Amino acid sequence: MLSPYLLGTLALVALPAFLSFGLAFTLYDGLAAPVWRGLQNFSEVFADPLFGTAVRNSLTFILLAVPLRLLGALALALLLRQRHRGTGLYRAAVYLPTVIPDVAYALAWLWIFNPIYGPLNLLLGAVGLPAPAWLAQSNTALPAIVIMSAFQIGEGFVVLLAGLQDIPQDYHQSAALDGASRWQCFRFITLPLLAPWLLLLTLRDIILSAQSTFTPAYLMTGGGPYYATLVVPLLVYEEAFDRFRFGQGAVLMLLLFVCVGLLLLLVYLTVRRWGYGDDR
Amino acid sequence: MTAKWPAGRRRLFGALVHHVVRVAVAAVFVVPLLWVLAASLRVPGLAPPRAIEWMPNPATGSNYARIFVLVPMGTFMLNSLIVVGLAIPLTIVTASWAGFAVSQLPRRLRRRLVISAVLLLMVPSTALWLTRFLLVRQLMLIDTLWALILPALMGSSPFFVLLFYWTFQRIPEELFESARLDGAGALALWRRLAMPLALPTIAAVSVLTFSLYWNDFINPLLYLKSESHYTLPVGLQMLQQMDKTNWPLLMAAAVVMAAPVVLLFLSVQRLFWPEGRLAGFPVR
Repeated sequence: MLSPYLLGTLALVALPAFLSFGLAFTLYDGLAAPVWRGLQNFSEVFADPLFGTAVRNSLTFILLAVPLRLLGALALALLLRQRHRGTGLYRAAVYLPTVIPDVAYALAWLWIFNPIYGPLNLLLGAVGLPAPAWLAQSNTALPAIVIMSAFQIGEGFVVLLAGLQDIPQDYHQSAALDGASRWQCFRFITLPLLAPWLLLLTLRDIILSAQSTFTPAYLMTGGGPYYATLVVPLLVYEEAFDRFRFGQGAVLMLLLFVCVGLLLLLVYLTVRRWGYGDDR
Repeated sequence: MTAKWPAGRRRLFGALVHHVVRVAVAAVFVVPLLWVLAASLRVPGLAPPRAIEWMPNPATGSNYARIFVLVPMGTFMLNSLIVVGLAIPLTIVTASWAGFAVSQLPRRLRRRLVISAVLLLMVPSTALWLTRFLLVRQLMLIDTLWALILPALMGSSPFFVLLFYWTFQRIPEELFESARLDGAGALALWRRLAMPLALPTIAAVSVLTFSLYWNDFINPLLYLKSESHYTLPVGLQMLQQMDKTNWPLLMAAAVVMAAPVVLLFLSVQRLFWPEGRLAGFPVR
């Protein structure tokens, strides 16, 4: 009964990963038979100035978005952990943007970020704040994508909510009896007990940014203006499926794979010590 | 200022602040979506708004009809429904089989499989798409809906396998033992014992699978060539390319695409909150 899952994983994950190793050393356009060309693909990729741009953009996105999303999810989980009247409604509201399909979400924010009559700038103008051109301006385009990603934090929110729920109530009660302030309770009880979840969510967010940045960059900015939102997955897509340079595409995938692999090793080390999800 | 108040009133004040913050935060998440809804009701061609509109005046629902005329939205929607309709049962079967099998394995092996699923869960699809594309081409599935359904054969996501595993391993072992003594095989155990006890998980995985395939943009973008096979996400992109500035139409299309997922989510959201304890949520 395990076999469909194992075979599927083998065919759809292991085999493609293995193939990209081979492909990275060949000249291949998807039509003619691949030709061996050694390390030439690698040197071409590294020589391409767009490669540096894409890596820098992706790293900037990670540095801005991951802490913002994590802190947002943590703050929301703390705010909405106790059940009062309306909590269910508020939680649903917070989760709502996360369930919106990527394409619809990207189009929606394209409208919201519209520099002239988008609702965001109308709002900023009404309260007298400066209204940047967002996606049309190279220094605000990437931050704009970070902002819209900060609204889709439902998964982290639920995980941290569950993590909070799991901290026994008496820890806090006995700490309060000993005269601990609310901040001390948070700093010395809640935070350490949540730490594994926070670490796991951080790593997951970093890794999945290799995937989640594609749709906004592709649909909203096309990587522009002036390559300001050219992120790594978009570069992979363009190399492979626009220019049919599968070899170079494979090199990029391989590099992505190595980075992801290193991060996954970190995840593994965390999870192993901690027995993620396994019974007791 | 609050420090001078008696303790009772201070607590009341604190509760009030707490409540206001909760409402404000919830509003921040919903307001952008309301803007989109309002924009979808504007009459196209009118001068764009000068101030924020909560309800356009005059309002119209005609954009929702127009998108079905401008592009074959009906066909796109049907294709999406076909994909989702095939993917959900396939996913439920393969993911629950795998989860069930893992729950019956010896401890060490089980632990390894669980950890490997967690790692697998984090592999970004972008790291695989090029070679996966070549494989799909080799299988002659380019430009067919089957290319989109393929991941269902591995349970769609290792997360679903884990969800089923967590559910099944909470079923007392004695139940399985006694059924086994009665001569039930693995398939019979799964069908008659395990699955009926996993209904909330089946519901949750169905909804998650629905949104996974309904939302999927990257796979149709890579694999589909002819318009008659397009699913909604690529159809939406097509509409965008036709007229990039017709915001009322585009927002109407976005609402049409998001509505089923939002409604499904709202109807089952209780399952996802920790108190609801989707039988066997990852935390214990």
